[in-house]
Amino acid sequence: MARPLILSLDGVEYPITLIKIDRDKLYGRVEIEAFDEKGRPAELRVLAADGKTLIDKGGTALATVNDKGDSVERSVLVPVDADGEKIEQVPSSFGRANELTSATVEDYFRQIVKSVYLVQPFENSDIGPLYDQLSADQMFTFPFSWRGGVEYDNAFLIGAGKDAFMVVGKQTEFQFIKLNQATVLDATEEEEISADDLDFDLL
Amino acid sequence: MPINISNPKNRDAVVAAEALNPKRQIRYTDPKGRPVTTRKLLKTDVTHDLPELIKKTKKLEAVADALVKGDPEIDIEQFGMFLADMSRVYVTKKGIIHLVEEIEVIYNPDGTVRERRPRKKEPQNMNAEFPMRWTGKFIKKEEAAHRFVFTNKKQLVHVNGLTFDFLYDMAKELDEKDSLLLVRGGEKGNEPLVMNRGGKPYNAFLEGRVKDDAYCLILHLSNMELKKPKGLSAEEE
Repeated sequence: MARPLILSLDGVEYPITLIKIDRDKLYGRVEIEAFDEKGRPAELRVLAADGKTLIDKGGTALATVNDKGDSVERSVLVPVDADGEKIEQVPSSFGRANELTSATVEDYFRQIVKSVYLVQPFENSDIGPLYDQLSADQMFTFPFSWRGGVEYDNAFLIGAGKDAFMVVGKQTEFQFIKLNQATVLDATEEEEISADDLDFDLL
Repeated sequence: MPINISNPKNRDAVVAAEALNPKRQIRYTDPKGRPVTTRKLLKTDVTHDLPELIKKTKKLEAVADALVKGDPEIDIEQFGMFLADMSRVYVTKKGIIHLVEEIEVIYNPDGTVRERRPRKKEPQNMNAEFPMRWTGKFIKKEEAAHRFVFTNKKQLVHVNGLTFDFLYDMAKELDEKDSLLLVRGGEKGNEPLVMNRGGKPYNAFLEGRVKDDAYCLILHLSNMELKKPKGLSAEEE
């Protein structure tokens, strides 16, 4: 049975459950079908650098190697920060209370979004007071990890209409740039009205 | 990446848009503190997949026998090699093909097919002949935060003294308005932004802040609204 995520605000605990939201659920999805000049179906494969080895889905793997090229077991890897200091593992956010703190729109705009969840009450729990605060344009944040791991993500609780959402991601830092901090243009291309008229169904 | 953007006076300039990364950088070491890297390697190729093995032995049972007796699914010389500089190709039963017709099949959220159409790969429009347009359409930051999911961000940076003033003035105006500006691309300045040919289109909003003699201009990119899908079932992750 699914466990609730427990949020704590002003000493009151709100058990919630999360439903993942993505573009496919909101707008649908696009799939590409390919054919040769005679209308025969074609499939996508990966061609290795030797120009002859064709690889299907699942034909590659990722390996962790040291500077000599020897494989290193993932279970013995040590996560470290930029200064080389070992990073302690963090526990899952489920199964304990997560204290909410107020957040600003400026904080939220620094979020690099990884996933979005619709917030629903867990079973028959009453989370009305939490909804009330979110619908009054308040925003809250807390450190979040689904399964535990190297570090927490940052979660924002935010209201939209009658619904509440949890937006999970990492925080970035915006830089204030002075005259002497000009950059050099890099010519490489990136990989990968009214606001009411905006079309998000951009399929 | 370079981008071509216009200001409220419809003057345009090429400036840089830089990626924004999470604050904390994590890397991994082996138990002795030596750095490690992740490499892609070959596990198997199509000539050793099940369909090819069945072609050789004619029967599935014969494949099982062959697997017991030997290692027909493994190429000792090749498998495990590091992969780099790979390309994506289309293949038919005849091999690699170069003339390909691609069809986009568009599905509704409920899984039904909405449309089939030839695939169009739109060119990028962030550094093109026509600059990204200052539309003059503002949306309050509070409202934008509660309506859109910003899935990508770029920080705009000047490339010389002239473009410093150009960007600083834009940031100052946006800071004073406490709003995001809707930015569009294309010849008519009414299209969503596309970063690379055939890439995802984004609705783009420019945020500006100034502090003393420094500016901060962030292009927030969104391809999703913050809303509940219609007919959402009680599924959970």
